[in-house]
Amino acid sequence: MKGGAVSAWNLTGTVPRARDDGGERDGGALSVSRAVELAASALEAIPQLTVIGEVTGFRGPHARSGHCYFQIKDDSCAVDCIVWRGSYAKRTFDLRDGIQVQFTGSFNLYKATGRMSFVARSFSLAGEGLLRQQVAALAEKLRREGLMDEARRRRIPVFCTRVAVVTSLSGAVIDDVKRTLRRRNPLVELVCVGARVQGEGAAEELVEALGRAAALDPAPDCILLVRGGGSFEDLMTFNDEALARAVAACPVPVVTGIGHEPDTSICDMVSDRRCSTPTAAAESVAPAMADLAEVLAARERRLASAASARVRTASAELDARRDRARRAMSARLDRLSVALDALAARPSLQGPAAIIDRRRTDLMQTSERLASAVERSQERFARELDGVSPRLVRAGQALVAGRRSALASRAAALDALSPLKVLARGYAIAYGPSGVVTSAGQVACGDDLRVRLADGDVRARVEEVACATGPDGGAREGALRP
Amino acid sequence: MADEKKVEDLTYKEASTELELIIRNLESGDMELEESLASYTRGVELLRSLRARLEDAEQKVSVLMKDVDGNDVLEEGEPADTSDALSF
Repeated sequence: MKGGAVSAWNLTGTVPRARDDGGERDGGALSVSRAVELAASALEAIPQLTVIGEVTGFRGPHARSGHCYFQIKDDSCAVDCIVWRGSYAKRTFDLRDGIQVQFTGSFNLYKATGRMSFVARSFSLAGEGLLRQQVAALAEKLRREGLMDEARRRRIPVFCTRVAVVTSLSGAVIDDVKRTLRRRNPLVELVCVGARVQGEGAAEELVEALGRAAALDPAPDCILLVRGGGSFEDLMTFNDEALARAVAACPVPVVTGIGHEPDTSICDMVSDRRCSTPTAAAESVAPAMADLAEVLAARERRLASAASARVRTASAELDARRDRARRAMSARLDRLSVALDALAARPSLQGPAAIIDRRRTDLMQTSERLASAVERSQERFARELDGVSPRLVRAGQALVAGRRSALASRAAALDALSPLKVLARGYAIAYGPSGVVTSAGQVACGDDLRVRLADGDVRARVEEVACATGPDGGAREGALRP
Repeated sequence: MADEKKVEDLTYKEASTELELIIRNLESGDMELEESLASYTRGVELLRSLRARLEDAEQKVSVLMKDVDGNDVLEEGEPADTSDALSF
């Protein structure tokens, strides 16, 4: 299409010129309107174009119309450019001077002034501008993924003693880092890991170098990823997505120093510490020797004062204990001495004879009490005995007298009833073989009888038994009764 | 303190860390007197060694290279030249 446009331009451009020449020769001049008309139609014949150029003279949309009027240029040419309000409203970024922009539109000739303009219907960033836009988009993407979170950043030791430097080994930067650290702190051991820092394939080399540096044994305390200043395009390597991800994922903390202030690459954004230059990055990994010396001096003072304080404390503790021991000892001695005095003052030690005297007195008193007690006791028994004796006599007499009178009355009664008295009046008692005979039936002829009389017995034998009835029987029975 | 290494065998950082630890322990004041005196002696030794290292420090630079088999090897590198050390 471009080729077509050019040929159309050439065709329509040459013909009027030939006519003009001819016109001049013929003396037939064209009016301005006709000439401009010719030019305008020639321009209109050019199809839509896409033009890359740098924006210049941009003052923003016109205050009333909202259209934008400015110029686009390259090294040798410039052309007026118009973006109508409606087209500018659809923009994805603001136009400003100095940016490379790709405009799509066509030429137009404003007949009233004869000025030619390129009317852009759409435009997009080109060159560095485009790159910057892409970088910004990548940065936003990685930020959304959290790769730039503050919490992700690892702590870098204040004093890194082993540091890997990932950069070009041929540039001035590696020497700069070495010199900086040699001057600042030669105790930092440097391991240089070379990689190209710009051009095709540089990002891949840097990713590999980072991996090799992280795999060092012993592992470095941090990795310096550095590069000297350069153009935006030169620094584009450090905006590479794979490299940025390698920096974020590196097992060893990464310090970046890429380009110069205010260059900021995506590697800077995802690193653990971002420094503005390689020198600043090198300086950030270790304290200066003077500071170390100062730290040592401070530690020496602290060491000395802590040790002497410890000794002083121990000594003070000893003193305090000595004083306590002394006080305790003397208090104890005092107590013992008082106790001893108290013991010495006891009567047993003061005069043992007094104890014996006292015991003797006690004994005498006891003995007197015993004697008088026995005496009193005897008297009491004697008194009691005196009291009891007459009562015993009286009771004994009373007992005998009673019995005696009772016996007398019984003897009289017995005497009165005695069968011997009856016998004395002439009665007798016959005793048969089976005892006293009270009935004639109790005996038979021939039975031996004993007859009791008042003054003796008579032996007899039964010759006849005659049973009597009535008064005889009764009389006989009565004769046998006592 | 049982696993005490020889001061010369410690790296600067190890020695420095141990010294700080000793000082903190001493400052805490709850060490046995004998222990604290031993710590102090060790601290002075560390301090002397650290100071000597500061005075005699020489930059050590190596370069990570690939050998013929593609394995990483460390080769001794050039320390920074001293010609401009004073010019900065």
